[in-house]
Amino acid sequence: MTTPSPVPHSDAPRVHVGPLLLSGAAEGPGLAAHRARWGTLPRASAADLAERAEAVGLGGRGGAGFPFATKLRTVAAGGRRSAVVVNASEGEPASAKDAGLLLTAPHLVLDGVALAARALGVREAHVVLPGDRPQVAAAVRAALAERDDPRLRWHTATATPRFVAGQSRAVLELLAGRPNLPVTAWAPDAMAGLHGRPTLLSNAETYAHVAALALAGVASYSRQGSREEPGTTLLSVGVGAGGPHVHEVPLGSRMVDVLPPQAWGRPVLVGGFHGTWTSWDTLATATVSPRSLAALGVPLGAGVVHVPAPGTCPLELTARIVSYLAGQSAGRCGPCANGLPALAQAVTAVTHGRPGAVDRVAELTGLVAGRGACAHPDGTVRLVRSALTTLHTEVGAHAHGWCTTATAVAS
Amino acid sequence: MHDRDGGGLVSARLRVDWPACRAEGLCHELVPDLVSLDEWGYPVVHGEVDESRLREARAAARQCPRLALRLIED
Repeated sequence: MTTPSPVPHSDAPRVHVGPLLLSGAAEGPGLAAHRARWGTLPRASAADLAERAEAVGLGGRGGAGFPFATKLRTVAAGGRRSAVVVNASEGEPASAKDAGLLLTAPHLVLDGVALAARALGVREAHVVLPGDRPQVAAAVRAALAERDDPRLRWHTATATPRFVAGQSRAVLELLAGRPNLPVTAWAPDAMAGLHGRPTLLSNAETYAHVAALALAGVASYSRQGSREEPGTTLLSVGVGAGGPHVHEVPLGSRMVDVLPPQAWGRPVLVGGFHGTWTSWDTLATATVSPRSLAALGVPLGAGVVHVPAPGTCPLELTARIVSYLAGQSAGRCGPCANGLPALAQAVTAVTHGRPGAVDRVAELTGLVAGRGACAHPDGTVRLVRSALTTLHTEVGAHAHGWCTTATAVAS
Repeated sequence: MHDRDGGGLVSARLRVDWPACRAEGLCHELVPDLVSLDEWGYPVVHGEVDESRLREARAAARQCPRLALRLIED
């Protein structure tokens, strides 16, 4: 039996016009409007694209934040025919930033892919569509039908609706015609990915930044953000099960400026279901900066900022998320297949205040961490550990049969 | 046989191919001090493999019925 996600996948997020990637969000997703705003696609070598990405410190926006320039250079240096893949599967339910980007500015993403393919001398590009967001998949197909890229063939594949299906090795399995599930990576994708070839596999937003850097230029791009971290990032900001808002935020902005009023004074989940419960005190002074957030122990991941609905206990929400994540395991790796359901039970026991439950959670997180083909067990462990530390007052209250959220609502 | 820092010996560690592993437990029987088993019978590998144990570690990897254990030497 699988537990449904406490936050449904959003197929129609509210997208706000932004300073760069989302500057044309109100003009419709068509190619003509896109070209009128951004101009025609220049030619660029892999070295040039890498230089631009490096100049602004562009990190991947799928969650891991790996430097795009390093990845591109590794693929280009592979000395073999390479593959280019854009991952738009967005399996994380609380995230909708790739959905929002593809619904409003699909050609910016596709421009980034086309630039990379041309730079690498590749004539095929693979687009991986979300399996649980049909409107987004339809929007991408409509955009692809408008493309006029010389000597480039586009291929689409649709991810299985499963949390782990968007993991990079799972995506490569899908493209190779095998089940869309993670397998062990013995080498990085950039060295040996699709069919063993050097593979440039990046998130949809990452390619949009690559395109913006090539179309607008590094100087213009760097007018956004801070000196240390130029540019912008997309955020999915949601409250409870209400669909998230997608904001494009200059790096270095104050976090409080993007948080909805429901977040004030309460813990917030940053980075999504594999993310980190973060106290209001930490967030109140934090900036939207991958670097400074990582230093605070709060990786921004794919840019999810989730606020529990008013009256929802964050600890109980954690238990529901872990139950969902346990059901989303591919079931192939023993420690994950056995450990996550046990962990879900143990976290639920913590919400019920059962004696020994916290110790059992600690034991299970130790058994699960680092023992799987993909990041699913590690991400789940991150969420649970952050709940025990950030929500320690709530954990203590539940141990005595109380809930501070319910009390706050009642009073 | 020296690492990049110079002087030190090659580091080697056992790595499990998790999707391939079916908790047969043979690795634990062959090298119990290098591999223990968790509560579900899956291997827990312990840190680096000392040079004196490389031969046994290689043998354990070779004999895994699922070919789910590898000795990574670099």
